[in-house]
Amino acid sequence: MSVDCFAKYHPLVNFLYFVLVIGFSMILNHPVAQGISFICACAYAVQIEGKKAVLFTLKWCLPIMLLTAFMNPAFSHEGVTILLYFPTGNPLTLESILYGLSSGVMLATVMLWFVNFNRVITSDKFIYLFGRIIPALSLVLSMTLRFIPKFKAQMNIVVDAQRSIGRDISEGSLWKRMKIAVTVLSIMVTWALENAIETADSMKSRGYGLKGRTAFSIYRFDDRDNYALLYLGFCGCYLVTGMIVSAFGFRYFPSIRYIGLNMVTISFQFVYLILCIMPTVLNAVEERKWKIIHSNM
Amino acid sequence: MRRRFSFLWAFIILISLCACQGNFGSVNLQDAIQIPEGGIIEENVIRQLKSENAIGMFYGQSNGLKYEWTIFGSDIAETKDIKLEVTIDEVKDREINVTLSQDGSFGFYGLLSIHLTEKWAENSATAYQNEQPVISVSLTGGKNKTILNCNLDGSLKSFVIKPDALSEEDSVSKETEDDTEESTKDQYLTDPIPEGKPKPVEPENQEVDKRKTYTCTFSIECSTILNNLEQLDPDKLEMVPSGGVILPQTKVTFYEGESVFDVLQRVCKEHGIHMESSWTPIYNSAYIEGIHNLYEFDCGSLSGWMYHVNGWYPNYGCSRYQLKDGDVVEWRYTCDLGNDVGRGMN
Repeated sequence: MSVDCFAKYHPLVNFLYFVLVIGFSMILNHPVAQGISFICACAYAVQIEGKKAVLFTLKWCLPIMLLTAFMNPAFSHEGVTILLYFPTGNPLTLESILYGLSSGVMLATVMLWFVNFNRVITSDKFIYLFGRIIPALSLVLSMTLRFIPKFKAQMNIVVDAQRSIGRDISEGSLWKRMKIAVTVLSIMVTWALENAIETADSMKSRGYGLKGRTAFSIYRFDDRDNYALLYLGFCGCYLVTGMIVSAFGFRYFPSIRYIGLNMVTISFQFVYLILCIMPTVLNAVEERKWKIIHSNM
Repeated sequence: MRRRFSFLWAFIILISLCACQGNFGSVNLQDAIQIPEGGIIEENVIRQLKSENAIGMFYGQSNGLKYEWTIFGSDIAETKDIKLEVTIDEVKDREINVTLSQDGSFGFYGLLSIHLTEKWAENSATAYQNEQPVISVSLTGGKNKTILNCNLDGSLKSFVIKPDALSEEDSVSKETEDDTEESTKDQYLTDPIPEGKPKPVEPENQEVDKRKTYTCTFSIECSTILNNLEQLDPDKLEMVPSGGVILPQTKVTFYEGESVFDVLQRVCKEHGIHMESSWTPIYNSAYIEGIHNLYEFDCGSLSGWMYHVNGWYPNYGCSRYQLKDGDVVEWRYTCDLGNDVGRGMN
């Protein structure tokens, strides 16, 4: 686990990066591009979260991938390569299996990118980016995103407090435990509502969203952000061009057809790779620099 | 700072706009080409068709009758200049004389479609040379016009197309269809069955007796797509066979009590033809979604598969039609709710 240097860039750079990467991951269905995106998402997640990211991939992404790969051919029977027949008489086709696999990888990739997104674009960055343009919505969004971890933490406190007065949720008959659980839930709902009202009142009394109100922010847009923005802009434009000339063309039904790999299409795939791998490389370079400085001290 | 923001917004909007258009086009259908004076199509056009694996459409007119050639690039074996001009005249009532200007073979088969201005009630026609039948002609078209389709390789220089005799059953069904009135439907929403036609047998009541075997004739074709190629999903182009015939007329053995659906499923399995169906409880029958990867709605919103037994399009599902010995079953793809394959909708 290393220091996330990419997260220290201007929020605009972070946000644009995720918009591009998540957008392309959802649109491009060429297996090579999907592989690139999946591997880069994994690499970045492991780099910033370490073991936790590996666990998340194994626990959530892998089952989802396998599930869609199995589910798709059960419902879609299109495709020219018939492998065998279901008891209903409909064929199981190679194309539908591969398509299911492809959608599964896409789903897992996008999930991983969103994990990274949440880690990098913290709620203060989000409010900084959108507080002015869409004040109400951005506050609601960041509150909602913050709600689940906060709710979990508060629930632990409440459960502990209840235990100390003799209402242990892990002991007693099923009926008794359920009664305690309902009490805890009722406390939590009250707390959540009250908390929301308090937050809203507090933000209102601070003049959130009013005209002329300034906000403290520690983000500076300096040269490296400029270069990063240019880089992202170049990659984005290049990849959109690639999509228009259908360099990422890949069709599953009725038969698999794709644009073969040649110098041009490889160049588009390469640009996609250097776009996706950008934060991982930045972090690695930064780490190396730090180690060199450290050893010189 | 502010300027940078506005630049970025413009950029993001640009990207999202472009992304909407980036779809994957396979083979582009060329525009239909008018046959030039003299009728010569030059070799380079033919070579282009072959190399792009495209479908060429060439149209012309003769004595007030429109005609068009559909040529599949994948069928072309040798490339040379060909003459596609055709002289068509109606010598007698419902007798069409066709003369090709080509000398010798094209080197491949092309589909000639002649658009008649009237409606022929028959389901098929035959081309004759010196009173001898030479090739069969399939009929498609809408409510008030008929299109004659014949597969030609240019070696047949001149022939006469006459409709086949209207079978008795056809005329019966026409009459009864005309005077059906609003009346009660059965529990599976089926309108009354015309006089003399087999009543549906519910799949749960069908008893298959494997000791008794009979034969029937099965065929699967989609020639209507060739008249509506501009509506076809471009990805499905490669699935359309050049003559429109997926399964030529084939003798099939079946057991007593089997339905059209049972036999279709078996025939497709045996011939390795892809077929997808889904059970539809309200009609108590299977519904054929697609055969040979050609699905409903692939060629316009009115397209799909229909079946035809002994000259009649049953008004109930294929799981409820119990086959008899010697039945002739045709599965036809329609692009117009059956109007173009000779089903009279009232």
